[in-house]
Amino acid sequence: MVNFEQRNTKGGTLSDVAIEGKDPQFDAWLSEQLQFDEPYLDDDGFCESVMAKLPAPSKQNERRASRVQYIAVLAASGIVAWQFPFGEVLSEAARQSISLYSLVGVGMLSSLVVMAGGIFAARR
Amino acid sequence: MDLNDEELIRRVVEDGDQRAYAQLVRRYQSQLRFSLRQLCDGDQGLADDMAQEAFIKAYKALPAFRGDARFSTWLYRIAYNLVMSHKRKNAPEVNQDAVDRAQAEETVEESLQLGMARDLNSAMDSLSEAQRQAIHLCMQRGFSHEEAASIMKLPLGTVKSHVNRAKAKLRSLLQPWHEEVVNG
Repeated sequence: MVNFEQRNTKGGTLSDVAIEGKDPQFDAWLSEQLQFDEPYLDDDGFCESVMAKLPAPSKQNERRASRVQYIAVLAASGIVAWQFPFGEVLSEAARQSISLYSLVGVGMLSSLVVMAGGIFAARR
Repeated sequence: MDLNDEELIRRVVEDGDQRAYAQLVRRYQSQLRFSLRQLCDGDQGLADDMAQEAFIKAYKALPAFRGDARFSTWLYRIAYNLVMSHKRKNAPEVNQDAVDRAQAEETVEESLQLGMARDLNSAMDSLSEAQRQAIHLCMQRGFSHEEAASIMKLPLGTVKSHVNRAKAKLRSLLQPWHEEVVNG
């Protein structure tokens, strides 16, 4: 083994280097060697095994996620309703003598179908 | 898409998104398992069990994670505590078969390694356990002295002292290799 005291000639006294560890060049080299020497451990089912043992997410989180989805669907429905030409449809229905009750019924039914579809899509 | 730790943690905590946690597990499993193998004296089965338990414990405690330390530091602290607690409980029992098996595997591996890697391993073995852990955390994992102190639950000054003494010892043992590389 090389005599450390003889080798240590670059800047600083022996006590500085040996005791305080002030040798950035050696530190960088050592760090590099330590990292180079380390193998990457393959997952080999480790992650799946951890995930299988995790407790289910809390109901509160699920409820919060559902709430966000409902709000998004309602907002989308609101925008559609805002842009929909109800006046023109009503006057056209009156002109073609379609009963108001059947028109409201069809409207509600189609709204329900659209909202259910939206919720289903959001949950997917 | 590679999200950062903070975003993944937010998704786990706020949305209950377990896929986000799986990304964290995949990101840190190799490093943590390798570190714990050293801490468990080469008992790979025990190290993997401890790593698994650490990930599960971290998941359960994630809502309490305040983000004032890096996730990796926090995870290491949990894992380190688990191993230390296991060692305290099982102090007299050593799984000699597992140790022998690991050592036999190491011997085969070592015979294939370059001289520098072999000398580095034996130099690391010559350190005390605390010194080895301090060097591993600070120089191999890149944790700061403060982070290593928090993981090892030791005063900052003690960790600095472990690191400095370990570096001095490694320097004295590995100087010829270092100089060979520096001088080409």
